[in-house]
Amino acid sequence: MRLLLVEDEKKVADFVARGLRAERFAVDVAQDGDTGWRMAASLDYDLIILDLMLPRLPGTELLQRVRRNGRSAAVLVLTARDATQDKVENFEAGADDYLTKPFAFAELLVRVKALLRRPLPARSHVLRVADLEIDRLTQQVRRAGRRVDLTAKEYALLEYLAAHSGRVLSRTMIVEHVWDESFEGLTNIVDVYVRHLREKVDEPYDRKLIRTVRGVGYCLTEETVL
Amino acid sequence: MNTRSLRFQLFTWYAALLLGSFALVGVATYIALERSLTGALEQTQVRRARQIGHLLQEELRAGDEGFPGRVRKEIEASLAPSQNNRFIRITRGDGLELYRSGAPADHSFEPASLPTPQWPARADGTRPLVITEGRDLLLTGARVELANGTSYLVETGAPLTEVRVDLKKWVIFLGSVLPLLGAIALLGGFVLVNRALSPVDHITESAAHISSHNLSERLPVARTGDELERLSIALNRMIERLDAAFKHSRRFVADASHELRTPLTVLRGELEGLVAEPQMSADWRERLGSVLEEVDRLTGIVEGLFAISRLDAGEAAAEWAKFDLAQLAVSTADQMSLLAEDKQIRVTCAAAKGVWVEGDRARLKQVVVNLLDNAIKYTPAGGAITLTVRADDGRALLEVGDTGIGIPGEFLPRVFERFFRVDRARSRDEGGAGLGLSIVESICAAHQGRVEVHSVPGEGSLFRVALPLIAEPMNNQNKQMSYAY
Repeated sequence: MRLLLVEDEKKVADFVARGLRAERFAVDVAQDGDTGWRMAASLDYDLIILDLMLPRLPGTELLQRVRRNGRSAAVLVLTARDATQDKVENFEAGADDYLTKPFAFAELLVRVKALLRRPLPARSHVLRVADLEIDRLTQQVRRAGRRVDLTAKEYALLEYLAAHSGRVLSRTMIVEHVWDESFEGLTNIVDVYVRHLREKVDEPYDRKLIRTVRGVGYCLTEETVL
Repeated sequence: MNTRSLRFQLFTWYAALLLGSFALVGVATYIALERSLTGALEQTQVRRARQIGHLLQEELRAGDEGFPGRVRKEIEASLAPSQNNRFIRITRGDGLELYRSGAPADHSFEPASLPTPQWPARADGTRPLVITEGRDLLLTGARVELANGTSYLVETGAPLTEVRVDLKKWVIFLGSVLPLLGAIALLGGFVLVNRALSPVDHITESAAHISSHNLSERLPVARTGDELERLSIALNRMIERLDAAFKHSRRFVADASHELRTPLTVLRGELEGLVAEPQMSADWRERLGSVLEEVDRLTGIVEGLFAISRLDAGEAAAEWAKFDLAQLAVSTADQMSLLAEDKQIRVTCAAAKGVWVEGDRARLKQVVVNLLDNAIKYTPAGGAITLTVRADDGRALLEVGDTGIGIPGEFLPRVFERFFRVDRARSRDEGGAGLGLSIVESICAAHQGRVEVHSVPGEGSLFRVALPLIAEPMNNQNKQMSYAY
């Protein structure tokens, strides 16, 4: 998978490229719109991650050129502008997704993978993490073979964590996925639900699966490192 | 009717001045007419007295010592005082009455009982006298001097009845014509005042419609060249300056948002990268996590401030829809119930069905979320929160009441200010930046609504959001009907 990152803020470009390369993506970086357009025109990228406020050629213009030239690359717009009008304009210009700065890297990664249609780990209807089993069809949860009764929200939270097991998910991502954008400022709701979830899923067992990564979020994993 | 309005004042002044001058004209013409009619009658009487005087002079010069019969005959023949209700009396200087006309046909006065003649000082003088006896009589006298020194007084009198009748006719005329003229003039005045001031109403209405959300609109300017055109143009220039100021502030928010978000993105990205390093010790991971929490908080403040700025600058909402506020509030409370349960707080919902409002559903949901979150934060364990949604007098009311710590009266006017916190230490532990209620207020204002707070320290607080109520949409009813079939 070859990705083009068009971002003029060098430091942002650095950590995004580093993080994506760690996920074994091939990443090219362009630091202005003009260079970005020449690279996008000469190589067949699978995904373009595009900042909007670019020197020489605005991101929206680059996006329009890519679409006019029939390039099939998926485009993820990355910007500090989140006015509704900006979003609408860019979706109209052919953007596939939109992520507002500042973002959690985990969220960028989830979106990149979704756009590339790369199968998420454990696509089968049963998710397994250590001795935890989640049946997505019947919405039943078992730990060490025993039924665990969860409320609808607790189930949604656990399924989201399990679907991205081994990955730290930010509170904002969890809120947006399990609740909706209106709850964005209310990240403590995540803490309360995670506590309840732990009481049911982790506490009766020796092996703890739900981990808190301070300042980042939560992670469901059998590893002990994180 | 507003008695202080320009319209009312102008019209009352106009009416008072108009009616006052009409009354003045009426009184003045009455007096002038009375004088002129009385004067004319007086002149006629004096002329008659002199005629009789001349006749008397001529006859007496001829040498008759007594009262010449010809004079009597002449008087009776040409003047016929009795038939015409007139009075004629001739008196000699020594007081001897030579002639007195008979009783008038209408018996309006008794000639014998009229006061004794009073001699005018000058020869040939007139002496108008108004006596009241039944009907008024105008009495004049002419003094006739003979060469031998004897003088005679000729008195003529005529009733004022005709004058009175004419005056009465004039009063009737005035009484019928003036009110009619007055009514026409007042009606004209009313129409004129209205015509002159209706553009003011128009300007007022248009100006009232302009808020931060439609500053690109302008007031209609009628090219009349009058003061109102100048007023509209001046107001439009003011709106233009406001518009420019708002655009400037919107651009500033967009720029500032970019400038602040980029470093936050780098901070977060690099710190997250560090936390993920396998060789990082648990202690370092904790400390980096603490820094990340602060980055999160800073991000929250930046996002909150931009949200408020964008709302206040009147940014168009993503989607504007009609929906049931009660249904939204109840489902949101349900989603947040665990937060309350966690603190042993009971949440009661009292929502009337079908309280319809129009607006951005996600933002109004945020209002419910922020108010409930606030109530849960400041209500001690074992307390209760009541969520009420109802329609009241064209408004959709959403109330969140709690049995929490309450807000001291002196802080109540400030609770919607940005960054305001009643108890700084306590609130920071709860993780708020003091923007939640400001966001609520801005969202309400963007929906032409308002939020208010009532609180008793130690007993609890009540936040009330009032939004314009709309009628339940028709297609919604249709949908329900189609379900029925």
